[in-house]
Amino acid sequence: MRRRQGTSALAFLWRQSLPSLLSIALALLVCFLAIALSKSDFAVAADAYLQMLWGGLGDLPTFFATGNWALLTRAWGESATKAALLTFTGLAVSVPFCVGLFNIGAQGQLTVGAIVAAVIGAKLRAPPEVHPVLAVVGAAVAGALYALLPAVLKLRRGVHEVISTIMLNWVAVSLVENWLVVGPLRATASGDLSRSGTDEILQTAELPRILGSLSRLNAGFVLALVATLGVWFWLKRTSHGFEARAVGLGMEAALTAGIDVRERVYRAMALAGALAGTAGAVWVLGTEYKFPATVGAPYGFDGIAISLIGQNHPFGVCAAALFFGVLRAGGTRMQLLGVHKSFPELIQGLALLFVAGRLVWERFLGSAAKPRAAPIETTHA
Amino acid sequence: MVGENGAGKSTLMNVLSGLYQPDGGEIRVDGQPAQFRSPRDAIAKGIGMVHQHFMLVPSLTVTENVVLGMEPRRRGLLDLAAADQAVRKICERFGFSLPVEAQIEDLTVGSQQKVEIIKVLYRGARVLILDEPTAVLTPQESEDLFSVMRELASTGHSVVLISHKLREVLAAASRIYVMRRGKLVAQVQASSTNEQELAALMVGDARPREVRPTTRGRRGELLLEAKELHAPGARGLAALRGVSLSVFAGEVVGIAGVDGNGQRELAEVITGLRSFDSGLIRFEDKVLPRLSPGHMRRLGMSHVPEDRLARAIIGPMTVEENVALGRDREPPFARGWLIDSQGRRQRALKLLEEFDVRPPDPLARIGMLSGGNQQKVVLARELDVGPKLLVVVQPTRGLDISAVRSVHDRLLQAREQGAGILLISLDLEEVLALSDRLYAIFEGRITGHLERAQFEEKRVGRLMMGAASEPHPSAPRANA
Amino acid sequence: MLEVIEAILFSTLDYAPALIFAALGAVLSERAGVVNIGVEGMMRIGAFAAAVAALVLPTGIAAGAGMLAGAALASIHAYLSIRWRSDQVISGMALNLVALAGITFLLETRFSPSGTPAILQLQRWRLGSLAAVPVLRVLSGHSVMTYLALVIPILFHGLLFRTPAGLRLRAVGEKPIAAATLGISVAIVRYAAVIGGGLLAGLGGAVLSISTLDRFEQHMPAGLGFIALAAMVFGRWTPLGAFGAAAFFAGGNALRIGLASSAPQVLQIVPQGFLLALPYLLTLLVLTAQGTKSRAPAALGVPFETESR
Repeated sequence: MRRRQGTSALAFLWRQSLPSLLSIALALLVCFLAIALSKSDFAVAADAYLQMLWGGLGDLPTFFATGNWALLTRAWGESATKAALLTFTGLAVSVPFCVGLFNIGAQGQLTVGAIVAAVIGAKLRAPPEVHPVLAVVGAAVAGALYALLPAVLKLRRGVHEVISTIMLNWVAVSLVENWLVVGPLRATASGDLSRSGTDEILQTAELPRILGSLSRLNAGFVLALVATLGVWFWLKRTSHGFEARAVGLGMEAALTAGIDVRERVYRAMALAGALAGTAGAVWVLGTEYKFPATVGAPYGFDGIAISLIGQNHPFGVCAAALFFGVLRAGGTRMQLLGVHKSFPELIQGLALLFVAGRLVWERFLGSAAKPRAAPIETTHA
Repeated sequence: MVGENGAGKSTLMNVLSGLYQPDGGEIRVDGQPAQFRSPRDAIAKGIGMVHQHFMLVPSLTVTENVVLGMEPRRRGLLDLAAADQAVRKICERFGFSLPVEAQIEDLTVGSQQKVEIIKVLYRGARVLILDEPTAVLTPQESEDLFSVMRELASTGHSVVLISHKLREVLAAASRIYVMRRGKLVAQVQASSTNEQELAALMVGDARPREVRPTTRGRRGELLLEAKELHAPGARGLAALRGVSLSVFAGEVVGIAGVDGNGQRELAEVITGLRSFDSGLIRFEDKVLPRLSPGHMRRLGMSHVPEDRLARAIIGPMTVEENVALGRDREPPFARGWLIDSQGRRQRALKLLEEFDVRPPDPLARIGMLSGGNQQKVVLARELDVGPKLLVVVQPTRGLDISAVRSVHDRLLQAREQGAGILLISLDLEEVLALSDRLYAIFEGRITGHLERAQFEEKRVGRLMMGAASEPHPSAPRANA
Repeated sequence: MLEVIEAILFSTLDYAPALIFAALGAVLSERAGVVNIGVEGMMRIGAFAAAVAALVLPTGIAAGAGMLAGAALASIHAYLSIRWRSDQVISGMALNLVALAGITFLLETRFSPSGTPAILQLQRWRLGSLAAVPVLRVLSGHSVMTYLALVIPILFHGLLFRTPAGLRLRAVGEKPIAAATLGISVAIVRYAAVIGGGLLAGLGGAVLSISTLDRFEQHMPAGLGFIALAAMVFGRWTPLGAFGAAAFFAGGNALRIGLASSAPQVLQIVPQGFLLALPYLLTLLVLTAQGTKSRAPAALGVPFETESR
């Protein structure tokens, strides 16, 4: 949907984001009630939400009282770190949506990227300006290749990408976490067999911290913002991105107009895999400094939620990623009140569920929300 | 029931079989007025329709498809034995030889059609409506079908056959209704008429042709030559069976034919959307073994496709984005990698004005425009390139009079400017009005070729219905 | 040697039922044309509900609670997919995420992070007459779930291919318009199939917490729902096929665990990671080989528009 001349950009933006905003609001409400009911106390619920907020944005009351910036920067660092990962995986899902493919494989692509980054970080010797770059590039390439696999299967053999990417996720996780990380790539450098995961990466490979010792905020966040702008630019300003969108919105017309559909699809998937792989690299190089025993958080799957809540638009994805990054960083503080730290994931899941009922919102709001790119094939293979 | 494209035969039958609701008028069954709100109502009254597109579940067997929804049961379970027997009985009665345990997807199209017939008979149909049944059958299967129809008639059933194949209609029917433009124009006994007369009734009296400039464009060099094209259609049947034609610069070549005789596939082959099995395609002086849409465009061909909503435009995109489609990497739409939004906007505005598109808003979603305006955008886009060859399929379908006029004007203008135009249309009047030469196509073959001076509606009509065939040169004599 | 084989078979019979029920649930839903990625979530909620119910109800009845919980989640999926024609993959994924986080939340708030309190597991039945028969004696000593898991696939097969309801279900999944023109309500058939699938998936989850283990453990079903999907695909969307595939995958898993304890040298050559990845790789291979001729129901994933032409 394009705004008609005369509608202000802001009004247009408002109408587009409404289903997502309402979904998030509803999810927040439902979860609030959930805490209140389980603790039989509304005050606790309110308190929990506040703790989540302070955890994500920084302990504002104490800050105002003491003026200690560290209280804020630490929290921002955590939020931004999580937001960065969510941005990458969210983009990794939204880019294929543009050409009409559903990329559920971000988790596998992330895993593959992460292990490659861990290896390059630990085994290669390079100066600190170059080392992280090499690791990130390696991870991106690995992710891209891993994402091309389902694309090839789809275009050449008609295998539906939903099933193939789900399968490949688990293949990647099994092979990496249950073989590579405990086998050939197991941490040996220190000789201490109780360490899990791979060798630690060399210091030269670490992603630089942006705010020094004030927080854990690292260059990954900047990369994420750059990636967001990059994807936006690609879609809005390059012919290539235009053709990709055409393929997603009207494959037959694109074909008739002479656009090479196959090529566009491959490139989009490769880009998606590269983004997810970069997420893995940022995670390894910026936070963990090795590939630990397991990836733990399902950032890849979260990417699906982020992408859809962000209406598949790069800026929407980034905004959603920031919002949920804040919530998740704050989640750890909720434990103080007896609420599990994965509570934000419940909010996220519910928000996704409500966004899924798009048509319900449309009926309710009486407006036509932005049409999602039509999938290339709507049936399972 | 016979009639040209768009005469209304299928619509009428869809009303009688309960699929559509009439705006007025009355239906009576057995003397009693009847109202059909859905196909189920019609079937309950004994009227069953066998559509052109079968409603069969491919992976289920013949029996399963027939009894679906009305399954015979024994102690709660499906009584397949009884079902098989019931289906076999119907088969025997009407001389079908069908393996009832076979899956639909393994059957020939002719057999599948029989299953549809059995389906309505199983539900007690007394009147069977067959919509263009022989469109997808081989001659042998058609013969088969006719004997089935005779058998049905002899057992007290009534059969309504919708067809445009006059030879078949005369052979199979006893009474024939002729429709034209939504009205019933004649009812004749089959025994007392012939193909020529039917064709004439279907096509109507010669109307004063649109006044067109008598100066014919200078016919230039040979642009497109097709020789003996063979190409497959749906379901593996051959759609083109040796089509040869040519298009020169500066002329409009029309393809006249009834829907489903291969025109669609011809357009697709020439524009690179469908591959051909054998034959030759030459563009200017290059023989093209394989075509793709992008390639054809680069060679200088433009295409206004038939299915506007699916193939010509991308509904959710803006008008200016649609204008850029296909040329989005060249100036003025792009500068290198980047989109040149200024250039794109300017060009779009210019074209919108030139072609009088309403509303002239480049940012409007093209899906919101009326059909006529959408088509103008498409035409604008395709003509803006300055193509050597323009292939247009059904350019004025669904458009109102003024939009039709403007499209025709544009096409003729392009012709004046030296383009060669291949016009494929189901609207005979349009073909006759615009073409300098025309080919008639029937069942995948060219049945005739006429120069403008020889245009005569009834003659073309006969050629289109396969009623008469004339030898034609594969290329007209050079330059007139 | 025989002991090892028997041990593996025995543990297969213990672990397979959860997977079998879940796979059957997936088949039921998808056969009617509704994609069911949410099996993982339905198993999780079923496992939790059963474990909690078993604290106050007899264990056998607690299984029913698990089934109902699975059905409840499935009904949300059905409502969104059928009434609102939502994207079925998204709705399934969303339910997975909600079940994952939601159950964790409930677990933490009401019980402890590690799991629910121990309950009385389902009784194991001894079939004394088989005690002396080699190999077959592995059939003795399992809970009722194992025996159900051997019987229900056959019943399901019968339902699908020998009853009018099954015929209509198959028609709806392949070509709903054909069924609709013959007077069958596509929506009702699909609702029934999805909710039925939820019952089975919930049962599969319940098996985990009241039979395989004696409580709900925070990671359940730990990806088993996705293996169930793989089994469904591998088994070509048929009850007996899914049963076979599920048994095969469960057997492979039992083999892997058995090797780890009794023959770890084998695992030096073929690392555990490969064995874990095997079900997914095999499924992918099968799909690739079949290409576009895969046996998925033709109308799978396509919302049905009730407004015709």
